[in-house]
Amino acid sequence: MNLFGVMDVSASALQAERVRAEVVASNMANAETTRTADGGPYQRHHVVFEAEDGGSFQQTMANQLGGVGASSGLNGFSGGLLGSGVTAAQAVPGGVAVTGVISDASAPLRRYDPQHPDAGPDGFVDYPDINPLTEMVDLMGATRSYGMNASAVQAEKNMVGSSLDLLK
Amino acid sequence: MQVATPLSDALGRYLDLTSEQMKLTASNMANVDTPGFKTQGFDFEQEFARQLQSGADAVDLAQAQEVDGLVARPDGNNVSMDREGMQLAKSQLQFRMGVELLKHEFSSVMSAIHAEAK
Repeated sequence: MNLFGVMDVSASALQAERVRAEVVASNMANAETTRTADGGPYQRHHVVFEAEDGGSFQQTMANQLGGVGASSGLNGFSGGLLGSGVTAAQAVPGGVAVTGVISDASAPLRRYDPQHPDAGPDGFVDYPDINPLTEMVDLMGATRSYGMNASAVQAEKNMVGSSLDLLK
Repeated sequence: MQVATPLSDALGRYLDLTSEQMKLTASNMANVDTPGFKTQGFDFEQEFARQLQSGADAVDLAQAQEVDGLVARPDGNNVSMDREGMQLAKSQLQFRMGVELLKHEFSSVMSAIHAEAK
């Protein structure tokens, strides 16, 4: 793990929690949506998080030796000490990744409303099975986790800062 | 006689590259609401290695390119505030590290000068 490796781990968590909050917001916004592109009512969405494997010591060592440092002929000088993974959303060892957003397969809620344009022949309308309380709890969880990881970033910045103070 | 050392030269390039990255991050942040804007960036490690190898004074600036792997919003914009914020914090720390190391490097030259005066 390089100097900013811990920050990368927290950054992956920040992004993941933001996606989670976005999905919850979309669920709440569509709590009454009766028609979608696929037909039928909106289906509640979940995010799936996955831990990024930290890898074994041997694996990491082999990557470091055969990776950027060796290929650039700098004997690992820039190969992870100073650099920062700029080119994108690459996997952060030890971090979290959003594997995907999946649709909940639960059956729709059926409410009697014959005047509704999407009412079936029996007068029932299919509504998404979304409970605002569940969504709010999820949103609060996402907010808290985001805040917690943001505090971790702050702590890590201080750590790097104080190790820089050693140079003075 | 030459005061600049290979390390101070490398640190100079490091600082240049870091501030270049900070500029890109600022421009990404500025365009967070621009429809269709794509996040710009460059591979710091690769670019730094290239600049160190090129040796000569004339070093062309880092080529910014679109960063892939980011999720685009419906308006085509794929700037992630989290990524950019983190990038800014990192660049600031990198810049500080470069400056501190450079200060350290020159202070040893200064102490050599003072040693002679005594």
